Order: sequence, then C-alpha cells, then structure tokens
Amino acid sequence: MEHLLVGFQNVLTPVTLFWVTVGVTLGYVLGALPGLGKATGVAVAIPMTFYLQPVAAIALLIGIAKGSAAGSAVSAILLNTPGEPSSAPTALDGYPLARQGKAQKALKMGLFASVIGDFLSTLVLIALAAPLARYALLIGPVELCAILLFSLTFIGGLAGRSMLKGLIAAAFGVFFATIGIETETFIPRMTFGLLELDDGISLVPMAIGMLAISEMVIQAGNAHSIDSEAEKINDSSSPDDRRVTLVEWRRCLPVIGRGTLIGSVVGILPGLGASVGSFLSYGATQRASKTPEEFGTGMIEGVAAAESADNAVVPASFVPLFALGIPGSVIAAILISALVLHGLTPGPMMFIEQPQMVADLYAAMLCASLILLIVGYTGQRIFAQIIRVPIRLIIPVVLFLCCVGAYMDTNTLFSIYLMLGFALLGYFSRKLDFSFVTFLIGFVIGPNLELTFRQSLQILDHDVMRLPAHPIAIGFAVLTVVTVFWINRTNSRLAAQKVALDVGTTKQSQI
Amino acid sequence: MKRADLISGIVLAVFGLMMLAFVIPLQIEQAPTGYVSPRLVPNLAMIIIVGLSGLLIVKSLRKAGAPPLLPDAVFSRSELIALLKVSAVFIVALVLFWLGTPLGAGIVLIAGTLVLLGERRPLILVLMPAGLLLAIWVLFYKVLGTAIV
Repeated sequence: MEHLLVGFQNVLTPVTLFWVTVGVTLGYVLGALPGLGKATGVAVAIPMTFYLQPVAAIALLIGIAKGSAAGSAVSAILLNTPGEPSSAPTALDGYPLARQGKAQKALKMGLFASVIGDFLSTLVLIALAAPLARYALLIGPVELCAILLFSLTFIGGLAGRSMLKGLIAAAFGVFFATIGIETETFIPRMTFGLLELDDGISLVPMAIGMLAISEMVIQAGNAHSIDSEAEKINDSSSPDDRRVTLVEWRRCLPVIGRGTLIGSVVGILPGLGASVGSFLSYGATQRASKTPEEFGTGMIEGVAAAESADNAVVPASFVPLFALGIPGSVIAAILISALVLHGLTPGPMMFIEQPQMVADLYAAMLCASLILLIVGYTGQRIFAQIIRVPIRLIIPVVLFLCCVGAYMDTNTLFSIYLMLGFALLGYFSRKLDFSFVTFLIGFVIGPNLELTFRQSLQILDHDVMRLPAHPIAIGFAVLTVVTVFWINRTNSRLAAQKVALDVGTTKQSQI
Repeated sequence: MKRADLISGIVLAVFGLMMLAFVIPLQIEQAPTGYVSPRLVPNLAMIIIVGLSGLLIVKSLRKAGAPPLLPDAVFSRSELIALLKVSAVFIVALVLFWLGTPLGAGIVLIAGTLVLLGERRPLILVLMPAGLLLAIWVLFYKVLGTAIV
C-alpha cells in the first residue's frame, strides 16, 4: 500500500500525466480505426519510448493499450466493422443503434462500460498478482516448463478456428525464438552469418510487420467497402437519443458488473483473449434478459455487456504475466519487451526486486482508466469523425509510422527488412488462418520454454521415470493432453454445427 | 479453404523436412561434450511442425467432400493487388534509403502509397508527406531530443 501511494506520487506529475494522456488519445484514435488494435499501437510506440523515463514510457504504452481497447467500439458502432475482433459483439447492437440515430448514446455507453470494466479489472490485477507470484516462486523449472507447454497448447487451441494450425503457428514462434547465439554454448543458431541475428530476432519489427503492415495491406484491398459504410451514419435531433438516460443506467449497471467479472476471469486464463470475454458476456446478458429476441436490434445492454468484458480482459491478462511471467495475450507478450527495456522483468521476482516500479505501473494503470474517461468523453465527437477519413489517407500514415518504429529498434535497415519479411508472413498467416497471436506468444515464451526444458532435462537426468517427483508438472502435462482432446472435440462439434447450419440455410434459400 | 489447407500443409511439411535434413545441421554446430545440443529445440519444433502439417494434409484430404468452413477463395484479387502496390512502394523507398536519401524514402513511402491507393488531390499529396515528416522531426529532434537517422 505504501508503494502504491508513492506510485501515485510518481505518476501524478505533469510529465507522466501528459504521456498517459498522449497514450490514451493515440490509443483511442488507433482503436477507432478498423484493424488497428492495441497490440499494433503498442508495438509501433515501443521504440518511441526509448527516450522517456521508465514510468512515463510504461504509462504511455499502458495508455495506448487502454485507449485502443475502448476506441475499438467507435468503428464497431459507426461502421459495423470492429476495430478489433473483441468488439464484434459491440457492433451487434451498437450499429443498429447508430442506424436509428442513437450513435452518440451507444458510443457513450460503450465508453462508460469500457472505463468501469477496465478500472475494476485493474483492481483485480492489483489484488491477485502479488499473492499468486508468491506461490509461483515455489515452482521449479520442471513445473514451469510444463505450465508453459500447457499455456502454449491452450492458446494454440483457442486462438484460431483450427487447433492444428494454432499449434503449428506456436511451434514456428518457438523456432524463431531459437535464432541467435545460444546462451549456454555460445554457438550461433540459424544466423546465416548475419551479425544482426546474433542477438536473435527483435520482437518490435516482427510484431509491427505481422500486426500492422499485414493488416494495412488487407485494409488497402477493402478500402472501398470501408469508406462507403462510414457515409451511412447520421445523428438524431432528440437529446435523449444522444445521452444515456437514468433508466438505461439502471438497466446497464448489473450488465457491466457481470461483464467485468466475465472479462476478468477470461483475462486471467492465458490465451482465451478479449474476444471470448466479450462474446461470453454478450451471450450471458442475452440469456439473462427478459427480451432476448430484441438483442441485435439496438439494445443498449448489448453494448454495455460487450465493452465492459472486452476492456476488463486487458488488465486481467497481466495477472499471469506478472505472477508467472507468462503472457496471456498478444498485448501482454508485446509489453514484455517494453517492460524489460525499461528495467522491469515480468515474473514473480519483480514483486521482490522492484516493488516500487510495480506500484508505479499499477498507479499508471489506474490513472489511465480515469484519463480514458475524460479523453473519451470530451473527444468522442472528434474521434467519431476519424472513421469518416478515407482509409486511403490513413494507410500511408500507418505505414510510415511502422517504418519509423521498426527502424528505431536497431537504427539499421535490417529491422525494416525483418518487418517486411514478417509482414508477408503475417499476411499469409491471416489469410490461411494460422494464428499470428499464437505465433507471437510462442516467440515470446520460446526462450523461457527452452531454458526450463534444458534445466528439466538436467534435473531429471534425462530419465522420465524421475517425473513422479514433480506432481505439479505431471498435473499440467495431463492437462495439456486433456486440453488437446477437449479443444479438438469442441472444434469438430462447432464445425459440424456450422456445416449443418450452412446446409439448412442453403436448403431454405433453395425452397 | 480445404485446398489451401492441403497446399499449406504440403509446403510446411516440405519446409520442415528441408530444415531438419539440411538447414539445421548446416547452420547449428554440435555442442561440446556434456552440453545439451543447441539443435535440440529447433529440431523438436520442426519435428512438431512436420507432424502437424502431415495431420493437416490428412485432415484436408479426408474431408475433401465436406462443405467448406471458410470461403474457397482465400486470397481476394483486390487484396493481392494492394499487396503488390504496397510492395512496390516499399522497394522504391528502400532503394532511395540505400542511395542515401532517407527524406526521399519517407516522401516516396507516403506520397507513393497515396497515389497508388487512388488519391489524386495535389494539395493532399504535398501536404501529407510534408506534415508527417515535420511532425516526426518535431517529435524526435525537438521533443525527445534524439536523432533517427
């Protein structure tokens, strides 16, 4: 608690608050643009924080993450095109509201639900991460290796439509993480004689290429349809259609509470992601409603449910990152490099070695939630105009900023080559449905996975019969196998349902 | 999509086998005695990729008659054209950067993308590159106090 108070003292300075505000504003704008999510924003901004003080730098990145999570509702409501996949359920009721002239009402409820969900979930993070980290310190390399393997399998299975492809992407991520000089023997691996690869592949150009550039190429291909959607929205003249009324607040508060709870639980479990949280929350709200049939026609509760859960996932996904050093989401994976860069290595030891830095981070997260409310509320009309800017004007700006961001990572053209190479890989992986989320998380946890695997081999003396001395590891190994079968079965069932549904629809249309 | 799955499965399996047979042995030396081989994890990753790609091939062959889950046309024409256009702009910008004109590279990247995406207004074509480059200069050279190039 003492640390947290000092943390607020450190964060509540004009310079840090300025950078949090910049981050939130940038994030909101990025989130409002279809396809540009929080991970992209943070990846592009990391090199720009090299020259900031650690607290200001991390606060800026946290601001971007929070701002873009909330901003993604703007394009979902106004364009029916979610800024991120997790905002897709927001569009289900947000877009019909906008078509009825109630865009401002939907945007406001989206913002309020986002801020409440985000703030409460940050409190969950503060309450849970440190106690969990104390238990994590009791875990040895064999157990950690089993946990990492389980997390990667879980994420691989859930991140895309196909578990096989998810696991292939995860294996590729781990493989790319092995490139560079091996730390035990100092033997270069897969460097092809390039000195630039001795330190391995940098996450920043890789993430920028896979997330931002590949998305921009896809956006460029669909520019016409995105621009035409923006022209269809007009505001109503009635003041009640532009604000959230007291009755609507009363209806939405329990929904926001449930959404926050669902989002927090989903965020803590590695790999489920914000999309699962927002869809679960939307579904739960629809089931609990007395008029479930009206969902999808412009129910304000639908927006509140989806946005509160979507934003609650972000801080909660830092629980496994802070407690175990395992990134539960792509944003957590990207933030690792920023935190390490600024002197904070995520994992259980950070609570012992740098408690003040952790408290600063918590204070920055709480302040960012409040600044998000102020920035979002005052600038909502302006942000709503962003989607009216033709996408052909946005793409060059993003491409240019991506190049600056990637170049700044090493100050050589090699980063740009890496960025472009991974952009191509990202484009094909998106089109062929190989999860780039799993790839990036595999890449980030790869070094730790390899290290704990090697340590496990030495501890077990290459003898699998010694494994019973590590019951937690056995438990997670069993969980990994069960997860593979369970996800595979669920995927097959969902696929069968979809095929049946498609066949039914085709028959109906033929009749 | 099943055809795309089949082809990607074959490509990945062949890639993995090539890596296992040639690239990894050539690119990673053997470790001194007593150390865990540095080839261990890369080899394991590639074995997993080959195995899973094999499963992907089998799965897409077995379900050849079933209705597809995703649209058959994975790559749309407009997206492929956009990919070519963006690639072309990057190639020109990189050549300019290589020749020692980073400013020119920046201008080409912004203005070139604008032109190729259909922007024709001269004011936008001039003001956007100028404004962006000026904003980056102010941010890095004045606010953050550092140089980029």
